Amino acid sequence: MALGRAWSVAVTGIDGQVVEIEADIGGGLPGVKMVGLPDTALQESRDRVRAAVANSGAKWPDSKVVLALSPATLPKVGSVYDAGLACAVLNAANIVPLDLLEKTILLGELALDGRLRPVRGVLPAVLAARRHGWCKVVVPTATLSEAALVEDVDVYGADTLADLVRWLQGDGPLERPDEHRAPPRPVRGDLSEVVGQHEARRALEVAAAGAHHLMLTGPPGVGKTMLAQRLPGILPELTEAHALEVTAIHSVAGSLSPDRPLVTEPPFVAPHHTATVSALIGGGTGMAKPGAVSRAHRGILFLDEVAEMPVKTLEALRTPLEDGEVRVARRDGVARYPARFQLILAANPCPCAPARDADCICAPAARRRYLGRLSGPLLDRVDLRVRMQAVSTNALMGDTGESTEEVRARVENARAAAAERWAAHGWSTNAEVPGPALRQKFRLAPAALRPLERALRKGAITARGADRALRVAWSICDLEGAASPSELHVATALEFRDRGTA
Amino acid sequence: MTDERRLAWAYLSTVAQGASRSLSALIDEHGVVEVAERIRAGTAKGEVAARLRSRAHLDTAATDLDRLARAGGRLVTPDDDEWPAWQFLSFDRLDTATDTEGAPLALWVWGGRRIDELAERAVGVVGTRAASGYGEHVTSEIVGDLAADGWTIMSGAAFGVDAAAHRAALGVGGTTVAVLACGVDRAYPAAHAQLLRRIAETGLVVSEYPPGTSPARYRFLSRNRLVAALSAGVVVVEAGWRSGARNTAAWARRLGRPVTAVPGPVTSAASQGCHRMIREGEARLVGTAREVVEECGPLLGSDDGRDGLFRRELDGLSEDMTLVYEALPGTDACDPAALAESAGLPIERVRAALPLLELDGFVVATDAGWRRA
Repeated sequence: MALGRAWSVAVTGIDGQVVEIEADIGGGLPGVKMVGLPDTALQESRDRVRAAVANSGAKWPDSKVVLALSPATLPKVGSVYDAGLACAVLNAANIVPLDLLEKTILLGELALDGRLRPVRGVLPAVLAARRHGWCKVVVPTATLSEAALVEDVDVYGADTLADLVRWLQGDGPLERPDEHRAPPRPVRGDLSEVVGQHEARRALEVAAAGAHHLMLTGPPGVGKTMLAQRLPGILPELTEAHALEVTAIHSVAGSLSPDRPLVTEPPFVAPHHTATVSALIGGGTGMAKPGAVSRAHRGILFLDEVAEMPVKTLEALRTPLEDGEVRVARRDGVARYPARFQLILAANPCPCAPARDADCICAPAARRRYLGRLSGPLLDRVDLRVRMQAVSTNALMGDTGESTEEVRARVENARAAAAERWAAHGWSTNAEVPGPALRQKFRLAPAALRPLERALRKGAITARGADRALRVAWSICDLEGAASPSELHVATALEFRDRGTA
Repeated sequence: MTDERRLAWAYLSTVAQGASRSLSALIDEHGVVEVAERIRAGTAKGEVAARLRSRAHLDTAATDLDRLARAGGRLVTPDDDEWPAWQFLSFDRLDTATDTEGAPLALWVWGGRRIDELAERAVGVVGTRAASGYGEHVTSEIVGDLAADGWTIMSGAAFGVDAAAHRAALGVGGTTVAVLACGVDRAYPAAHAQLLRRIAETGLVVSEYPPGTSPARYRFLSRNRLVAALSAGVVVVEAGWRSGARNTAAWARRLGRPVTAVPGPVTSAASQGCHRMIREGEARLVGTAREVVEECGPLLGSDDGRDGLFRRELDGLSEDMTLVYEALPGTDACDPAALAESAGLPIERVRAALPLLELDGFVVATDAGWRRA
C-alpha cells in the first residue's frame, strides 16, 4: 500500500483541531513535497523527519513522497506534526500497521537522531483530542505529566521514534504517567512578613474577597510590591476547571514547569512598566502568542510603577478588562485567549517620590499630571484605592500581623458566600456584579445607604463611585459573615473611594 | 363610617365633578346622606341643585367604589381620620373665591399610604412640561435631597419637571404623591402609566374626580390648587412665560404657602416664568434643597454650621464619629489601630467612622495617618 495516515492536533490560541496527515509514496523522482499550508518550521520538518526515520533504522522510500495535512485551509504552524508525519510515511511504507495508529493522536518534534522533543501546547492539544472523541495520545516523555492532567484519555510518553514505532507495531511499551499526585503549594512570601500597614493589608483582604481590582499608591519602600506579591497566597486555590484553563494558556506560552505542570495557584504576572502592548495583550508573528493578561488569567496582573507606563499600553487593557478575553489578529488568523484577571496597580504619588510626601519637590503641575495619566475608563474599573502610609519606627518593632493562612481562610469563606449569592445571576464574585443590579435588585436598606447618599451629596463620590463603594461594601460584609451590608460596611467602603490625584 | 355615607360622598363627588363651596355648605347643614338623597330625587332647592340636576342621574358610586377597591384604591372623605383637614383649612380663609375654589368634596386615591401622613411634610415641585436638561438635573438634585430627608414630593405627573420630580423621589427611595386631573384609574399622560404604578406602590395617586373621568383643561387648573393645598410650600423649577406652574404658584400664594423658584439662564425661555416671579417678588430664589427647607420647613437655625438639615440621618454612626474625633490627638497623626485603642471602639467601627468624618471635613488623611483638619 502506498498511502499512509496519521493524526495530530493543530492548536490555535488555546483551541485545537484534529489534523489528518496523509503520506503518499508514488512514482517520480525521489523527493518530499508537503501540502496543507505549512509554515517555515513545518517545511523544515521534511528534512527532520527524513533524517529521524533514517537514523531510527528504518528506510526512507526511494521515490516521491507527498505529505498532506488536512483540513488543507487551516494554517499549520510549528514542529508538533513531526511524529505524525514520520508515522504516516512509515505506514505508507508498510512498516507501521494502521490498527493502533488510527486510534492515536501523535504529538512531538523529532530530532535528527530520532529523539522525540517536547513541544508547546500539549495540554490544549490533548484537551482538543478528547473533545473530538479521541482516547489515545502519544506525547514526548518530557510533557507526559502535562498531558496526563486530562482525564479520560490514555496518554503515552515516547522517548524516541523507534520506541513509538515499536509500540505501534505492538512490540513494546511506552511510558505511562505516574499516579497523579497533588503537588505541594509552593512557598511564597507570607503575609506576616509585611511590617505594619494594617490598613493596606485589610484592603488586600477585601480585594481578595471580592476579586476587586486594586490600586496602591504610596512613597517608595512602603511595601507596595511586597503586598501585591502576597495576594496570590490569600486567594483560594483554582478550581479544577479553572486550573486546566490556566494551565492550557501557560502550555501555549511554554512556561510550564515539567515536574509540576498543573497550575493550581492563581498565577501572579508582573510585567515591567516598559512592556509593549504586544507583550501585555499578546502578539508575535504568524499566530499570536498569549500576552501577560492571558498568563494572568484567573490570577493577578500586577503593574508596578503604573504611572510610568505609556498611555497606549494602559488603554489596551480596557478591552480585556471589559470582555475577560483578548482576540489578537495576526497573519495566520485570530487567536482568542481568555484574560480574566485581577488587576493590581501600584504607583508613587509623584515623580520624585520621596520617603515622606512632605519632602516632595515636584512642581504642582507635574504632580497632577503624574497620576492624571491613568485614564478614567481604566480607573473606573478599580474598586479599591489605597494610599499606603510610610511605616513609623514603632511598627518595625511591633508584633507581626496575621499569616497568609489565617487571612486565606476568611477570604475563602467570603468568596463562597458571594458565589452562592450571585450564582443564580451568573456572577461569581462581587467585582463582577453590574451597577444596576446593586442599585435595584440588591438594593440595601435605606439606613445602610445613608453614608453613600451623604457622600454623593457632598460630591465626594460620583454615581460610578457609589457603585464601586457598594461592591466593596458587599465584600466587607462577606468577610464579616453578615447577610447584607450595614451602614457600617458602607461607611468603611467609602475609605477606598477615589480621592482624585491630590 | 357606614357604607351609606361613603356611597353618598361618592355620589356627590361624581355629580359635582370637583369642589363646590355651596354644596359643601349644604352638606355641613343637612348631612351628606340627606343632601345626596335630595339631589338624586331632584327635590333639592337653590342654585347648586339646579346646576347639578343635569348630572343627578349619574349614580355610578357603588360600581366606582367597587372597581377602585379591586385596583387597590379607595375614597377618602372628610369623615375619615386621614382626611387632610388641616391642609384644607386655608380654603376657608380665601377672601374672594368662586364656588369651585374650595376644598375638595372627597379624594379618590390609589395606593396604600395614609394621605394625612404624606401631606404632613410635603413640598410641591412643579414646572414646565418642556423641561431643559438643566431643569431636569436641578429637579432631581433638589428633589433627591428633599426626599432623602423624608419630605413627600407632590406633583402632577405631567411630562418634564413633574415626571423628573417623581422619578427622583422614587430613585432615592422617598415617597411622592401624584395629583391627577382625571380619574386615578386613567393613566394620563399614557406614557406615565408605569411611573404612576410605581408612585402608587410607595406613595399615592390622588384625584378629586371619580374613576373614569377624562382630563380637561379646567380640571388641570383645579388640580394645581390641590397640589398647592397639600404642600407646605411650592418649588417652581422651570416655568415658561405662560406656564401652568405659575398657576400652581399663584394658588400657593393664595393659600398662604411659601413659593420658591429656581433661576435659570436669563437667555432660557424655559426659565422666564421663574425669573418673572422672582423679580416681581412672588417667589423666593432657591438653589438647593436646604434653601427650600428654610423657606417651607419648620423654623430652624440657618447658621448651624454643617448641614443641620441632614444631621439626624446618621444616628447609627454619629456616636462613633464623636468618639473617634475626640480620640484624635490635637496635632499628631494617628492610625486606626491606635484610634481604636484610645476611643475604646472595635477597629471596624473606627474604619467606618473615619471616612464619614473626612466627608464632613473634620479629619484629613496624611501620609503619616489621620489627623484633625
